[in-house]
Amino acid sequence: MSTYRIQGRGRVNHSEPVYFTFDGKTYTGLRGDTVASALLANGVHLMGRSFKYHRPRGAVSAGSDEPNALLGTRRGKGQFEPNTRATLQEVRGNLETTSQNKLPSLKFDIGAINDASYMMFSAGFYYKTFMWPKSFWDKVYEPFIRAAAGLGVAPSEEDPDDYAARYVHIDLLVVGGGVAGIMAALTGARAGAKVVLVDETAEMGGALLSEPAVTIGGMAGWDWLAAALEELESLGVQVMTRTTAIGYYHENMVGLVQRVSDHLDHVPEGAPRERLWRVRAKQVVLAQGALEKPLVFDGNDRPGVMLASAAQTYLNRYGVKVGSRAVVVTTHDSAWYAAFDLAEAGISVAAIADIRPKIDAELVSKARALGIEVLPSHTVITTRGRLRVKSVSVAPVSNGAVGTSRVIPCDVVLMSGGWTPSLHLFSHTQGKLKWDAEAQVYLPDVKTEEVEIAGAGRGLWGYGAALEDGVVAGRTAVKALGLRATARAPGVGVDRPGTGIMVKDLPTNGDPGKARAFVDFQNDVTAKDIRLAVREGMRSIEHVKRYTTNGMATDQGKMSNMNGLMIASDALGKAPPQVGLTTFRPPYTPTTFGALANYVRGHQFEVTRKTAIDSWAEENGAVFEPVSQWRRAWYFPKDGEDMAAAVARECAATRKSVGIFDASTLGKIEVVGPDAVEFMNRTYTNPWTKLAPGRTRYGLLLGEDGYIRDDGVIGRLSQDRFHVTTTTGGAARVLNMMEDYLQTEWPDLKVWLTSTTEQWATVAVNGPNARKVLEPLVEGLDISNEAFPHMSIAECTVAGLPARLFRLSFTGELGFEINVPASKGRVLWEALMKSGAEYDICPYGTETMHVLRAEKGYIIVGQDTDGTVTPGDAGLDWALGKKKPDFIGMRGLKRPDLVASGRRQLVGLLTSDPKVKLEEGAQIVLDPNQPKPMKMVGWVTSSYYSATLGRTIAMALIEGGFDKMNDTVYIPMPDKTITAKITGTVFYDPEGEKVKL
Amino acid sequence: MTFDKKTAGGVTIEELPAEARFSLRVRDGERAAVAGALGLELTDTVGVMTSGSGRKALCLGPDEWVLSGAPGDAAAITAACAGVYDAAPHSLVEISEREIFIRASGPAVEALMATGVARDLSRIGPGQGARTVFDGTPVVLVREKTDSFRLNVWRSFAPHLLGHLFHVQKELASGL
Repeated sequence: MSTYRIQGRGRVNHSEPVYFTFDGKTYTGLRGDTVASALLANGVHLMGRSFKYHRPRGAVSAGSDEPNALLGTRRGKGQFEPNTRATLQEVRGNLETTSQNKLPSLKFDIGAINDASYMMFSAGFYYKTFMWPKSFWDKVYEPFIRAAAGLGVAPSEEDPDDYAARYVHIDLLVVGGGVAGIMAALTGARAGAKVVLVDETAEMGGALLSEPAVTIGGMAGWDWLAAALEELESLGVQVMTRTTAIGYYHENMVGLVQRVSDHLDHVPEGAPRERLWRVRAKQVVLAQGALEKPLVFDGNDRPGVMLASAAQTYLNRYGVKVGSRAVVVTTHDSAWYAAFDLAEAGISVAAIADIRPKIDAELVSKARALGIEVLPSHTVITTRGRLRVKSVSVAPVSNGAVGTSRVIPCDVVLMSGGWTPSLHLFSHTQGKLKWDAEAQVYLPDVKTEEVEIAGAGRGLWGYGAALEDGVVAGRTAVKALGLRATARAPGVGVDRPGTGIMVKDLPTNGDPGKARAFVDFQNDVTAKDIRLAVREGMRSIEHVKRYTTNGMATDQGKMSNMNGLMIASDALGKAPPQVGLTTFRPPYTPTTFGALANYVRGHQFEVTRKTAIDSWAEENGAVFEPVSQWRRAWYFPKDGEDMAAAVARECAATRKSVGIFDASTLGKIEVVGPDAVEFMNRTYTNPWTKLAPGRTRYGLLLGEDGYIRDDGVIGRLSQDRFHVTTTTGGAARVLNMMEDYLQTEWPDLKVWLTSTTEQWATVAVNGPNARKVLEPLVEGLDISNEAFPHMSIAECTVAGLPARLFRLSFTGELGFEINVPASKGRVLWEALMKSGAEYDICPYGTETMHVLRAEKGYIIVGQDTDGTVTPGDAGLDWALGKKKPDFIGMRGLKRPDLVASGRRQLVGLLTSDPKVKLEEGAQIVLDPNQPKPMKMVGWVTSSYYSATLGRTIAMALIEGGFDKMNDTVYIPMPDKTITAKITGTVFYDPEGEKVKL
Repeated sequence: MTFDKKTAGGVTIEELPAEARFSLRVRDGERAAVAGALGLELTDTVGVMTSGSGRKALCLGPDEWVLSGAPGDAAAITAACAGVYDAAPHSLVEISEREIFIRASGPAVEALMATGVARDLSRIGPGQGARTVFDGTPVVLVREKTDSFRLNVWRSFAPHLLGHLFHVQKELASGL
């Protein structure tokens, strides 16, 4: 074991070593270690290279705010993650970690050339440099920027891990497992509330885990903690460690991401890596605490320079000495306690340099008693050392003048610039902040949600204050829940209260223009950059942020925002609230796509709806296409056939004899009630009053604007009952639209709507032999042309199944659509296939359906219409009930634009070369020789090869098309210009005799 | 579609047999007459299920019930309602074939349901139900017993829903 581990100290398990690798070398940690604590225990501070300057960096914190120690982590194939925070990831067996942004190695990195030429890479460098010459953008600048952008390597393999999600509804959510959060949770739980307590680290306790010297309720701090957690468990509180509250959304919805298995040596089969919890809490207590700020001085990013609290955490929580000789530089009392803990643990603390002239006498005398040199009114000039700090220079400051510096050798510099209350989640709620001029911090102020903020998160300091405040927040929440709170805060024996001041970058006697004093470690932003941004005209912190990228890294400026603001305010000569504060947005910490997507991936990515006949199609070699959420048989190729051959064969078979088609996906809505016919009259454009029971009609549905929305054949089953069919994709939309009108416009109508799309399986049989195939299977109905003419509907028995039989045609041939109970769809299909065998019945798919209908000029809503096509444009004026007082869209149709001449109208197109098939969507011009840009008069909406006609056919929307019959138009394509003649849209059987067979 | 019953992770997922089902829509004024014809009470408390004459009615909305009975009961239900239609107009539409019926039960069933249902399940007691969405799939959910839920899902959505349920069953079985 390394010399930096203190035997028996901390909360790690000293009897359970864990082996992991870092850059290929195996290291030993202890169970309970983070990667950072384990590396530090091995004396490794150098953990990465910085983003822009490739400067050597080490862990600066011990928590989720870490900007430097970002590693690649890997478990196995595909299980790679870049930018894992070494300060949060626990060590486990089978953990491979790698440093980032280095070439060729962490200790010798060529990219560090950027560091030597840092004067070039000032704020706004990109904007200034990559401006000209313009021609350099594609070939030089963009590839360069792309290569330099982003830290770490994006995973290239599919992630084999599972991710999970749950909803949870509770009375009280407490975010943050420090003493304030624990007291809030206890207060809620003791009052009988259903409570969830979460903390992002592996253990509850927060700062108390790093300060065992504190005593609470007459017990050692850690004993009190154990007792409190035991009580929480006995009260049924769901205590969730390794769980980060990533976002706070409307109505107290909080998103949590729980790291379920990243800390385990072996992941049980089926276990998720992470779980997203969507919490709906009646009350929320935010007890997120405060984050320590670094100090801004030259060389403050050298490995070995870290936050004082981090050193204290490594020592007390993990039993790790971060070095052997420390110098503490601070503006806050808290770092003094850290120094005392280190000194008492046997680490030499050479000096405490405090920028403040006056320091609590007790602290000073205790420091001196521990042999620590006390340097009040001192600033830091610089640090030295290549891959690890070797010394720090400090100098006295008197009346703003910096005196002579002296060098103190050391291997760690512990800094504290005070504490920033964590406002992230509160900011997500759009809660208002106030500036506390005395403490120089922003604090939560006006709330928008049912939320309380407790402890250091609202600027309080010391364990006594935090415990008390946790109870107060818990009581407020409990009262709002209508419960009675009884909890009281325990007394604190040994506390660690303290105060401090907030400063800008530290004064120096060196050249401030050359100082490498970092504000944002992750994005390599220095104090000089922020001052430059102000000099170049940035006035708002939002502009300074974007110009310098300060706070724009994945840590969202947890360490850098306040320092950036203090420096910008100083440069502007304004108070911080006049300069502003950037907005925090979810997620609080970087979140995996896996957690957000959770179950919605692979087969579960999207619903694939299949009909009852889908299995037959699959068994018979169908090729499928997606149509909205459905998968539909596209065509049924026989051996060696391509799509064109299959479709040509299917079309010919249907026109010649009989074809069979699965139409089950058509939307179906049953409209029932005494006012059913009135409802139909108001909804669809057609007149319905005179439609007799047993008859059907083509129905056209418009929007208020007069444009076509949907269509379908509608049957009247009885006086008060209609069977409406809609397009496949329009089913849900049409039902919603109908319900909308019914509930908001016509609540007086006694009519009700029921979706029956999936009650029925629907099979269409089309072709001159359709009746011969169907007739033997029908009972209880005469389906002869005389008894059951075109556009009839009846209830009968088909193949022994109760059926709703339509006679209609979407092919131009004699056609029937048979609806049977959905589960019997395949039975019906097979019965029809058997009955049709002697007529060579041919299954066809959606492509053949499209061709056959196009030959007849039947439109497909959404293909030949695009939401700007009126019935008139589509040649469907005949479907308008002109004598009706109203229907949806009637007024819209009277708008000037909709009655103007020159509208695009749906016409047929025949290319002069019958073999040339137009491209759907191709633009049409009247004169191919006009200069570009040409005047485009319309476009092709449908285009097919028609086996029936032995040539290609197309439909198009063309300006004034109805008046241009037989005119030639031109379709310019990249390689040639195609000529075509405008025709009517009915290419086949214009008299419509075939449907009447 | 049919699928095999599977028990793992503290939940059993199984398919329930077919039954006669109808969507019943009727206004306040006519409700009593229709209820009388069907031989059961029609409550106007949304989410509550009533039963009588071997039939059940779950109130899904202010004027909407889903009515269920034995498979052979469909004709009788249709006839009973038709008998009062002129005096008490309403809408009765058969949906027996529209849905697949899935039961999820066992000690871990609430965890399973919470992976897909955004509603507060503690507010749906035994004998109550709701029309809701499960992982993007529309369902009618009924809590039969404390540890048993019934999911009625449109036929074509069932494979997707079952894919989710069986996946989560494995997750639950992992113990994490």
